[in-house]
Amino acid sequence: MGLRDKYAIVGIGYTPQGRVPGRTALSFHVEASANAIADAGLKAKDIDGIICYRAFPSASGEGPVTPYLASQHLGLSPTYMSQDANCSRSHIQHAVGVLDSGLCRYVVLSYGHNAFSSDSMRRMLLERNGDDAAFGHFGAAAGYALAARRAMHTFRTGPETWKHIAVGQRKWANLNPVATMHQRTMTFDDYYNSGWVVEPFRLFDNCLMSDGGRAVVITSAERARDLKHHPVLIMGMGQHNPSCDVHQALHLAGPTGAKKAAETAFGMAGITVDDVDACQIYDCFTYTVEITLQDYGFFGPGEGQDWFKGGTIEPGGRMPVNTSGGQLSEAYYMGLTPLSEASMQLMGRCGDRQLGPATKTPSPEVILCSDNGGVLQTHTCTILRRS
Amino acid sequence: MNEYPKPLPDINNDNKEFWSGCKAHELRFQKCRDCGHVRWPPSIICPACHSRETEWIVSSGKGTVYSFVIYHVAYHEGFKNDVPYVVADVELEEGPRLLTNIVDCPHENITCDMPAQVVWDDVTEDYSLPKFRPILP
Repeated sequence: MGLRDKYAIVGIGYTPQGRVPGRTALSFHVEASANAIADAGLKAKDIDGIICYRAFPSASGEGPVTPYLASQHLGLSPTYMSQDANCSRSHIQHAVGVLDSGLCRYVVLSYGHNAFSSDSMRRMLLERNGDDAAFGHFGAAAGYALAARRAMHTFRTGPETWKHIAVGQRKWANLNPVATMHQRTMTFDDYYNSGWVVEPFRLFDNCLMSDGGRAVVITSAERARDLKHHPVLIMGMGQHNPSCDVHQALHLAGPTGAKKAAETAFGMAGITVDDVDACQIYDCFTYTVEITLQDYGFFGPGEGQDWFKGGTIEPGGRMPVNTSGGQLSEAYYMGLTPLSEASMQLMGRCGDRQLGPATKTPSPEVILCSDNGGVLQTHTCTILRRS
Repeated sequence: MNEYPKPLPDINNDNKEFWSGCKAHELRFQKCRDCGHVRWPPSIICPACHSRETEWIVSSGKGTVYSFVIYHVAYHEGFKNDVPYVVADVELEEGPRLLTNIVDCPHENITCDMPAQVVWDDVTEDYSLPKFRPILP
């Protein structure tokens, strides 16, 4: 018996998001988790598994967010707690694994950060990554920019492709009242005028830094039937981790881990890329969206520029991508930005941005989600479907 | 004497041979005595065959630019007078790739796969950084 359709996302928790000064990272984890539990129609006492996404360096005046601290604040004493953290992208598989092994029945999976308003991200940027700092190399943008530059050398890509991603996702954010960029439109000119950060990336190739949190509750499809919402079934999952850092990596221009991860996920789900109605792609940078969709098989190397043209991923387009605005235009909550949006869409709770007649797109049955970490060093692909 | 305003390498037991090589203006890498794989970063075993038998070799210092980016933002105070500056990943003839800077070249002339040669930047009395300059045809 395979894992297809055996487990489900049953609740989603939001918090105030974007610019929310004066809050600790822990408070966002706790609020998002409490909201996800209530959203599922569950009580705290039902939750017996907890997995927290990566904790970034603590802001000044805060201690580190640990899963036991989050549990304490939620009044939980779970029978399963994950204590792994470093840029994990495997949490949904982790959750399904512990549910399937019977170690717990309801897992809450959370992320929270005060990235915009605190000094936490600044602390992370200046954290040493080996001796790279001696050469002036810091943070994630430049690592992904190295990958993107190599891709520009290897196949036809660059700003002419990435502008469609930045602008297309912004159009979705303009339909999403909780998106950070809800009220700001973006044209191709705005994209080109946004200024270099680390060339070849402009400001609008970069994701947002967000205050806030996000959480989901996962349980068995069987238990899910008694809960509040139509459960979102986990149809397929795959993971592949090329692991090599950007210095030695041979996967920067693809295939990244996305290729094998998707093959595994599609194999489990018993479907192909042709059965996918929409995608929620981890979009730390515009290039990440391109290389992920390319490796998933939506188009061949360098064909993205034509594939994205004409509003393919936008409202009304033939393959909607990052329908909340994504991390580029909604908010950055690691892998939970894609997973939670896919779940909301499949539950039919997305208002003006709802896939279907409201946005002149097909009503979604199957949504493909990605998550990746390091500089394309880890990758998880998840296929969700409506029940 | 002004204090050097930028971060310096962290020397540890794994990389001290590399950085003392740099001080002597030599790029030293570990080579596996069993399978011949030349590795970077330094490690106790060969990632290709897990052999512990290792020798240090001196690189020719010649390679090609695998990829490069141009920083227009200084994330660290020490680099604010340097922007725009180039960070690159250079692949040495012997195989390893180094994260480094490209110097002495107009940015618009830099391309992936262009040949480059190490040049030494003696940033303090104790530290020399391997940077790269394009080899002109």
